[in-house]
Amino acid sequence: MLIGTEPQDAHPATGAVQDGDGSPGQEGRAVARVAELDRRLGDPTDESNELSYGRLVEADEAGELPEAGERALDELGLGADFVPRAEGGGLERLDTLVRVMRQVFRRDVALGLGYGVTSFMAAVNVWAAGDAAQRERLARILTGGGKVSVAYHELAHGNDFVRNEFEARPAEGGGYLLNGAKQVINNADRADAWVLFSRTSPAPGSRSHSVHFVEREGLDTDTWRVLPRYDAVGVRGCHLSGLRFDNTPVPASALVGEAGKGVETALRAFQITRAALPGMAVGTVDTALRTVVRFALGRRLYRKSVMDIPHARATLSGAFTDLLTCDSLSLAATRSVHLLPEQTSVLAAATKYLVPKLLTDAMRELSVVLGARFYVRDGEYGIFQKHIRDLPVLSLGHAGSAACQATIIPQLSRLARRSWFSDEPAPAELFRPRADLPDIPYDRLTLASGRDGLSATLVAAVDGLPGATPEERAVQGLALQLVDELRRIQEASRALAPEDRTALAAPGTFALADRYAVLLAAASAIGVRQQAARDGGDAFLADPAWLAAALHRLARRLGRRPAELPASVDARVHEEVLRRFHARGSYDLYDTPLTG
Amino acid sequence: MPVPTTGHTTESLTTWLAERIALYLKRQPDGIAPDVPLAEYGLDSVAALSLCGDIEDDFDLVVEPTVAWDYPTVQALAGHLMDELAAAAAKGGGA
Repeated sequence: MLIGTEPQDAHPATGAVQDGDGSPGQEGRAVARVAELDRRLGDPTDESNELSYGRLVEADEAGELPEAGERALDELGLGADFVPRAEGGGLERLDTLVRVMRQVFRRDVALGLGYGVTSFMAAVNVWAAGDAAQRERLARILTGGGKVSVAYHELAHGNDFVRNEFEARPAEGGGYLLNGAKQVINNADRADAWVLFSRTSPAPGSRSHSVHFVEREGLDTDTWRVLPRYDAVGVRGCHLSGLRFDNTPVPASALVGEAGKGVETALRAFQITRAALPGMAVGTVDTALRTVVRFALGRRLYRKSVMDIPHARATLSGAFTDLLTCDSLSLAATRSVHLLPEQTSVLAAATKYLVPKLLTDAMRELSVVLGARFYVRDGEYGIFQKHIRDLPVLSLGHAGSAACQATIIPQLSRLARRSWFSDEPAPAELFRPRADLPDIPYDRLTLASGRDGLSATLVAAVDGLPGATPEERAVQGLALQLVDELRRIQEASRALAPEDRTALAAPGTFALADRYAVLLAAASAIGVRQQAARDGGDAFLADPAWLAAALHRLARRLGRRPAELPASVDARVHEEVLRRFHARGSYDLYDTPLTG
Repeated sequence: MPVPTTGHTTESLTTWLAERIALYLKRQPDGIAPDVPLAEYGLDSVAALSLCGDIEDDFDLVVEPTVAWDYPTVQALAGHLMDELAAAAAKGGGA
């Protein structure tokens, strides 16, 4: 077998569906929660459902979040999913949160962001650096159905938020005075609290900012106001507005973590959100793929169904393959937060950089098959044009693509010298979609480490014996090419001039970060297939066919011209696209049963 | 006190830092005053992280990724590195 050099370990194949005492374990709770959301939100293709795709598109046209959707999520108590179990909520595994949110994102990106993700992005700052009283207050707000906003950025400074001017000046007699404006904040108008990133010292540099957790209740109402709402091209239902403060006093107890450590707190919190957010939108592209499969099976052209046209068929297989790749990287990144927190900074940045890109490209390719229908705003295909407008928002927000590359760039030469081709492969647990995880060790997330076990998984994969089947041999040939690519990236990274290791690096350095992210995606997919084959779990994931298809697409993305795959690969992937369409199984690593 | 095991001095570290930071900023080393915050020269947080990697490579010394934030001038950094090198030498020498 190709990928089998790593010794077997004693861990169970999958997570405990039940704890020792017979109560549901982590995986049991995850499966139940995902099913609960799906059931409550209902079949989106059923026009009589108040949360049908048709109704969701109507709400978008009106520029509002679907009222029925917000009510449903209130009743489901979704806010508790952002609160660690230790604080009385339901958050125990980051990969589970991604699965849960996928149920919302497959129906409506705006609802996912507007109801939930904003609160989660705010909350992680407090879970990572807040004191017990702040964590308790926040937990009470979120489990009680309230919302919290997060305000890092100011439009003038973009992702260069160290230059922010919004000020929290230490007040005489304790506490702070807030001064200035924050723009484009989701839910600024209706949140119960805001997590604000403010300048607390006029000195230049990265020790002059702090994070504050400010509750709306009790603020001097004469000194602050909500700024007018923004209009957006996508996620039109989201309440994007701003906040303006004018000498608004807040108590000293609002300070999260140490004064002056705001940049560090934010960068650690980003690792969690960068790892988790992109994978949620796998649900969005799942819907897009499902919509196009339905179209391709039903429409007849040239006396054949669209599905019989080779280009259309290949596009659908390609989109499904990319979803599996995205989910593999998302899985590795989210589980890395728990298992390899010291290595997460690069991996989370790569995920936030690459997954939205792969998803957006897949959507565009799917739109070609849909033809003119992808422009239609209502009816059966209306959800496609809404999703294609909403999806790009994922690349923006708290970490633009370039900002994520900028996290990777200063670490490249260090990884090249210290880690690649010498580090230990990542632990098997990183790639097991249903396995238990320990709590998130917030205090171990660090800004850079010079370690990278994930690329070592790729390197270790080519050490095995040649594969027995054509598919396995294809995988091995592709893995060899990707290892060669890592070698090239290593050489280029070692040779980087100092001025190319800054935020103003030459475009070639940004390209290097891009290529490295593609390799991390490949390594994740290899790890997932390796563990599935070893665990005797999901038969499709254990089959080398999807992995061969995934690596082939990634190699081509890198400009390589790999040999043609055996015909059996496309046949297997195509068969699975159809099987999951008819059986209503999700297009990701979980094959989750869906209502529609 | 000199640190014979490493041969580094505050002066040599100051020179090394000014030269390295000048490369990041595309300036001349003598244009970097030892007591001016590096952020005032436009040294961004990405370059500050890169500097940590350079210190690690050239001095075989692991420093916090935030070291250039906590010691924001050439002078402060050189002083901190001297302390760290002395500590590492003491540990390495088994004293």
